[in-house]
Amino acid sequence: MAILSEGVREQLRARFAERLRGPVELTLYTRPGSGRLILPSGVGCATCDEARELAEELRDAAPDKVSLEIVDVSATPDANVTEVPTLRVAAPGGDPRIAWQGLPGGFEFATVVDAMERVSAADPGLSEQTLAWLERLQADLEVMVFATPT
Amino acid sequence: MSLANRMALASEHVHALTVEANEFPELSRQFGVSGVPRTVINRAGAFVGALPEAQFVETALKLAGVDIEPAPDGG
Repeated sequence: MAILSEGVREQLRARFAERLRGPVELTLYTRPGSGRLILPSGVGCATCDEARELAEELRDAAPDKVSLEIVDVSATPDANVTEVPTLRVAAPGGDPRIAWQGLPGGFEFATVVDAMERVSAADPGLSEQTLAWLERLQADLEVMVFATPT
Repeated sequence: MSLANRMALASEHVHALTVEANEFPELSRQFGVSGVPRTVINRAGAFVGALPEAQFVETALKLAGVDIEPAPDGG
């Protein structure tokens, strides 16, 4: 069953046709599911099936520009991902530095769409001041944001 | 698009990870999540709430120990 309604999928197709400037790679890390149960870390996956549907619908909204790789971490130990579902967005060949852990529903779905568009255009849309500050970074910085679907 | 994602797009040093808090209760407890959005920097310092761009980036970089000048208008 589709995650997005036909109306939303149509809006997404129109939006991507206008705003996706170049190719975007999605990588979804999954593990065989266990329904809606919330299980201990490393066991099963409550939302992997929905995350896969959602990722496929994102790809299908612009199949000429969006590619999707689905990685089963239980069969790919060197994937170096333990928490699933994890969705990463990157430009082709780029280091995937933008990720969501868990099903990106509600407002977070909008951030995935926007990230895909900005990655495709290589346009972070940040102020000159922010860009100048970021140039001072000499070491890696992880920004982890806890959110809820609403 | 979240500011964390935009920072990651702008700098190869930045990695942005958005965690669905309800799906990962252990991780949420580990990082003291009682309200969202909660932003955790390098799995150490944290702040709560949606901040304007300048304040968000300034706070994140200061928590990471990066020496920056203060934002001229705080937002």
